[in-house]
Amino acid sequence: MNGASIVRVRLGKGDEIRFVSHLGFMRAFERAVRRARIPVAYSEGYHPHPKIQFATALGVGMTSEAEYLDMELAPVDSGDLCTHDVFERLRLAAPPGMPIIAVCALEGRPTLASSIEWASYRVDVHPTARPELEDAVREFLLSDHAIVEVNTKSGQRRADIRPMVREIRWSGSGALECTLACGGRAHLRPQDLMAHFHSMQGRRGEPEQRHGSIARSCIHRTGLYFTDRGGGDLASPMSVECRDLVMAGS
Amino acid sequence: MVNKDLLLTDVLPNVSQPARYTGHELNAGAGYRAGAEATLLLAFPDVYEVGMSYIGFKILYEIVNSNPAWAAERAFAPWPDMEAQMRIHGIPLYGLESYTPARSFDVMGFTLQYELTYSNVLCMLELAGIPVRADGRREGDPIIIAGGPCASNPEPMAPFLDLVVVGDGEEAIAEIMRETARGKREGASRAAIVSRLAKIAGVYWPQAQNHVTRRVVADLDSAEYPRKFVVPFLEAVHDRVALEVMRGCSRGCRFCQAGMIYRPVRERSMDNLCELAEALVGSSGYEELSLLSLSSADYTRIKELISKLAAEYGPQGVAVSLPSLRVDSFSIELARDVEKSRRTGLTFAPEAGTQRMRDIINKGVTEDDLISAASDAFESGWDQIKLYFMIGLPYETFEDIEGIAVLSKRVLDLGRRIAGARGKAGRVRVNVSVSSFVPKPHTPFQWFAQDSREQLEQKQSYLRERMRARGLSVSFHDVWASHLEAAFARGDRRLAPVIERAVSLGCRFDGWSDQFKPGLWQQAFADTGLDSSVWANAEYGYSDALPWDHIDMGVSRAFLVREAHRAASGLTTPDCREADCSGCGVCRGDVRVRLAGAFAGSPSQGGGQA
Repeated sequence: MNGASIVRVRLGKGDEIRFVSHLGFMRAFERAVRRARIPVAYSEGYHPHPKIQFATALGVGMTSEAEYLDMELAPVDSGDLCTHDVFERLRLAAPPGMPIIAVCALEGRPTLASSIEWASYRVDVHPTARPELEDAVREFLLSDHAIVEVNTKSGQRRADIRPMVREIRWSGSGALECTLACGGRAHLRPQDLMAHFHSMQGRRGEPEQRHGSIARSCIHRTGLYFTDRGGGDLASPMSVECRDLVMAGS
Repeated sequence: MVNKDLLLTDVLPNVSQPARYTGHELNAGAGYRAGAEATLLLAFPDVYEVGMSYIGFKILYEIVNSNPAWAAERAFAPWPDMEAQMRIHGIPLYGLESYTPARSFDVMGFTLQYELTYSNVLCMLELAGIPVRADGRREGDPIIIAGGPCASNPEPMAPFLDLVVVGDGEEAIAEIMRETARGKREGASRAAIVSRLAKIAGVYWPQAQNHVTRRVVADLDSAEYPRKFVVPFLEAVHDRVALEVMRGCSRGCRFCQAGMIYRPVRERSMDNLCELAEALVGSSGYEELSLLSLSSADYTRIKELISKLAAEYGPQGVAVSLPSLRVDSFSIELARDVEKSRRTGLTFAPEAGTQRMRDIINKGVTEDDLISAASDAFESGWDQIKLYFMIGLPYETFEDIEGIAVLSKRVLDLGRRIAGARGKAGRVRVNVSVSSFVPKPHTPFQWFAQDSREQLEQKQSYLRERMRARGLSVSFHDVWASHLEAAFARGDRRLAPVIERAVSLGCRFDGWSDQFKPGLWQQAFADTGLDSSVWANAEYGYSDALPWDHIDMGVSRAFLVREAHRAASGLTTPDCREADCSGCGVCRGDVRVRLAGAFAGSPSQGGGQA
């Protein structure tokens, strides 16, 4: 196995740190890297920052098994560091609630942030709420458009969210599983989709969603995906231009 | 355990910064166990981000948790939105480690860092479901103990506290835990355990009003210091490795309580510091290592220490920093070493605007010191300087206040001239922060009255009018906040009902300008028929009995009187590290000035270097 100069890391955000902000999550990872004594590359300038690029932010209050980041290693010291070393060191240094799931070496340049197009989520739904929600989901999937008011940083905006929903299905355990547009081109936050379903049922703005990014129902991110250039299929960030994959339990 | 499901699904989604209330940080302990011999809840009466910056709790947390028979947890004051949710849902105050209700702990230890956190102490007790007054507590209630700098006059809070620890807590906490464990084992009653704890040296029992002598750790090298810190996910105010290089300061500024109550100067050895730095950087992953003390530039081998640490940790992406600078060129030299990559502003504290006033307060800084420090700073590329001043000091005249404006403008002009040579005059900023003098117990100025609120307001507007210039900004501390701080600092037990009343009226987080409600405090005083100016604005006589006379902080009354007289004559008193012993009376037995781990000369010979 050759040494790696850029590694891609898949990690999780557990229940115990679901209320940690994206900034706090990134900072905690950077500190884990320092504790792990992984020789990360630093940016130049007055405020050198470790060259770590996260794929996309996860809303406060959600959990995840699919956070990704690219990390550039310092060329001088990292000659012998293979992905297995990086994985093991990170695993031991990571704080509670931040499981390291997989590490691979990247062939090209870090492109994570610009390549992610879809994200999948699992939303736990209370059994009593399910029948009504099922109706709303069915109606939504049959329609061609769904124009909604979406809250953005610059205020409210009208958007058609139907094309941003690739798939919705019910899991065996009764959770709602959905695949939504994610990234710079189009982005649909799962809590906004859930809010839309609620409004379809005639329930306007649940009061407990006051802080926007946190929905009452438990939302868990299960995947982030590129789109395969040929057929438009979903591809894992660890299946493209990657080598020396090390996974938890392997 | 509190209802975690309720907390996670119905409560935390509705509050700001929910990560304040969830714990699970790196290096956090397991917390409460029913089988533990003694359990402690460390309670910080301010918000999480402030409390997690406080090194004292990290030390005590480590000491208790390193003993497998004991367990310590942390609790912070919930922000008002969380307090409201806790009351609605019936969630009691709990420890962050195991979500165990505060009521279940044997001992609850508050730190009193600042008078304006007193309302939060009462609020936390209320939320814990613990009777607020000590005489209302029964068998099974935790023993409420307080410590910290305000323990040097705990009287306004005395009725709410079972016990008070005066001075360094490293040794006392272990004795308290041991004695509590013994009491429990022997089946002693709560009252019996309290009276046993009251016999520990440095422990004050408000009910008995005993004379108490401050606990002093003679040698920091051999005292316990954590090898790992709890690393918060939420950014703390001071989110970094804090390395306490020394404790105490003997510069002798006459207004400064910390400079009196933490004497003598006890430096750690270089070896000890390097070993702690290695352990703490490695176990935390922090990106910053800060050399903590009242005046770190005074550490005997500071230059050597900084270059050693910077060489070791710089390449690992860890910046070394100094939290405070002296007003001199040497400090700028140090700042250059540590701030290579951090071109943020520099802060100096000349404290007063004229030499006459600086001599009165014994701030050993001249105008030349400030000008040469500032010019070195501007020459080195800094373009923002912050200056700290005080108004309302004893013997102050309007000329002294005008001096603040004159000096600030001189620094500004200097900066504009130096930066102007680089074509960057427009970027120079001098930000002046002006606080109001608060007379504090155990200082030479403890007898002096604080200016009335009207006087302070008049002085503020007098100064504000004279501070108008491009690049110059001035901010003032809230007059009402300083007034209350003075009243509680110099207060006695009669103030306790006022605090109780203010809390019931809704006062919380009084140290936060956006939360402070002076109108409610005014009402609390009116409702209890008391006048705050009795404590804040009254001069005490040198022969008067003071509310804190029974608390012996080590510095003798004779020394304080002598210093007050010297202030009146404008005479300065030099630092005993550089001149003869000034006879403050704190050195006795093992307790003496220790420089970089070595013994200084005995106090009778003056505190020179060994």
